[in-house]
Amino acid sequence: MTDLFETAEFRSQLVAWLDENDLTPPPGDDSLDAHQAQHLRVLKALYDAGWMRYGWPESAGGLGGPEILRAIVGEEIVGRGIDQPGPYSMLEVLTPTMIDYARPELAAEMVPRLLSGQESWCQGFSEPGAGSDLASLTTRAVQNGDQWVINGQKVWTSFAQYATRCILLTRTGDGDTPNHEAITAFFVDLDTPGITVRPLRTMHDVDEFCEVYFDDVAVPAGRMLGKPGDGWRLAMDLLPYERSTCFWQHIAYLYSRFDALIGEVRGRGTASDSDLGEAYLALHTLRCRSRATQHRLAEGQKLGPETSIDKVLLAGAEQKLYDTVRDLLPGAVELDDGPWRTEYLYSRAATIYGGTAEVQRNVIARRLLDLGKE
Amino acid sequence: MTSTSDTDSLELLEDGLRKTMLSTSGAELDAALAELGWADMLSDMPEQAIPLVFRLLGETGSHASLLNDIVVIQTAGRELGEIPELPYAGGGWVVWDYDGASDTTLGGLPLRRVDEGDPVRLVDARRALGWWLVGSARAMLALARQHALDRVQFGRPIAGFQAVRHRLAETLVAIEGAEATLSLPGEDNPDLTALLAKAAAGKAALTAAKNCQQVLGGIGFTAEHDLHHHVKRVLVLDGLLGSSRELTRKAGAGLRARGSVPRLVKL
Repeated sequence: MTDLFETAEFRSQLVAWLDENDLTPPPGDDSLDAHQAQHLRVLKALYDAGWMRYGWPESAGGLGGPEILRAIVGEEIVGRGIDQPGPYSMLEVLTPTMIDYARPELAAEMVPRLLSGQESWCQGFSEPGAGSDLASLTTRAVQNGDQWVINGQKVWTSFAQYATRCILLTRTGDGDTPNHEAITAFFVDLDTPGITVRPLRTMHDVDEFCEVYFDDVAVPAGRMLGKPGDGWRLAMDLLPYERSTCFWQHIAYLYSRFDALIGEVRGRGTASDSDLGEAYLALHTLRCRSRATQHRLAEGQKLGPETSIDKVLLAGAEQKLYDTVRDLLPGAVELDDGPWRTEYLYSRAATIYGGTAEVQRNVIARRLLDLGKE
Repeated sequence: MTSTSDTDSLELLEDGLRKTMLSTSGAELDAALAELGWADMLSDMPEQAIPLVFRLLGETGSHASLLNDIVVIQTAGRELGEIPELPYAGGGWVVWDYDGASDTTLGGLPLRRVDEGDPVRLVDARRALGWWLVGSARAMLALARQHALDRVQFGRPIAGFQAVRHRLAETLVAIEGAEATLSLPGEDNPDLTALLAKAAAGKAALTAAKNCQQVLGGIGFTAEHDLHHHVKRVLVLDGLLGSSRELTRKAGAGLRARGSVPRLVKL
């Protein structure tokens, strides 16, 4: 079993298993509902076969082993188009939070439900008034006996319409509490009375993001993640996972789409060579950087502000890829109602979500270049 | 894993090389590096020596004809001490030769055009030039960063302005990205790995030149300031062994011929 924890051996066994167990999505239905059904189906199969459990601790239903194994599973699953990158990446931002911040019994009870596709969860962070400035969030939690009562609104909550639970950031403390000590996280059941979920219409016509309203929602104190005031640290602790394992999966997906583009233009002659080369250079640079980040994480180094570089490279490469699609496949985005259109439009958000390109550059200037305050 | 003593001795070597490069350049630097054991470094520890020495050439703004050694070592039928013809952007050829060096080459490198050349293998040479370009880019970024902190306009250091900060941040992103491509082992496809690394490094260096020139404003345009040495150096080095633009197009042609994207990077 120890050999399986070696990355090349792990990958070859996983690939052999995938070759024998066809998890290809059923053709013909590209709706969000179909993606969600496929997502749950894939997780169940991978969990039952053990693949979804490697790289997670045994205390939370995992099978142990290095975290890099999760990146390999994600690369194969998302890179082969078996699951969509969006839903799949949620595992990587939700599970570490539960393992690090939930009571151990709660994590042991809940994490297997997520990893096995019994349930989906969502992450309630952003608010209408708190985007780049997340620490200014105003959804309030007030203690009332052994419960906390929550009021407020979240937005950009991915897949909330399919979720049974939510990792939610709220404001606690009084007016004198500094922002970064005034945020507290809860693990909230979305069937609690007082919660309304409303999908947002977006420009790419996929209702992935939701608004979630909280109206006197009572949550047991035992569902607090960490202690009062731990919420900001919880949010920051997510970055290493979001920007290592998640990014690696997403890059695998972009490579698979680049393969598809090349398939469509390969008979065209030399006119597209420069454009293809530029997209390749951007993706290759990103993948090299992400590999180095994965290895630093695997060596036990603490990831920090330098992952803002990974984020800038990812957003730039993604937009470069889809700009190239639009340039080399004239009309494919504008005249044909197909996946290139959806993906092109979605890629416009790459410099906005997960910390805008401007916020990343601010972090790089302040923390990596030591340029002092603005 | 590098042991502590290895790390220490590499740091000592780096200090020694840096001092030497800061005090001398050109043929004298070649002689000094020969004294310091360059030939042994190249045969015993090329994986450490090439990135270190070439990055330092960039950072110090010095130059030496070490690229010739790298090319002849990798090319069958050539020997150390020979001066190979080197491809230059646009299908041209140059030699790196102190004898009969032209004084027309930008920034004072002893390069001159020749009519034609014999085929050479460029894997390690492109990586070496990539490290040189990245070193130059880091030198430019250091100059621009210090200027941004020192230069006061509108009553405060210009480092406080977001437009300035973001140019410098963009430069660091380009450099770090290029270094990642240069650090990839690349066993699966050494030629393509080196080609992409040289392309990324050239692009990063040109990005650094553009952004740092802008941040340095008027002083960076004078010959009194060091910036122009680095700007000129990266313009020349980008063209040597194929420009970023040409190599990128070549990589694109390779994708089209192959019909899929090589995954050169594995976990």
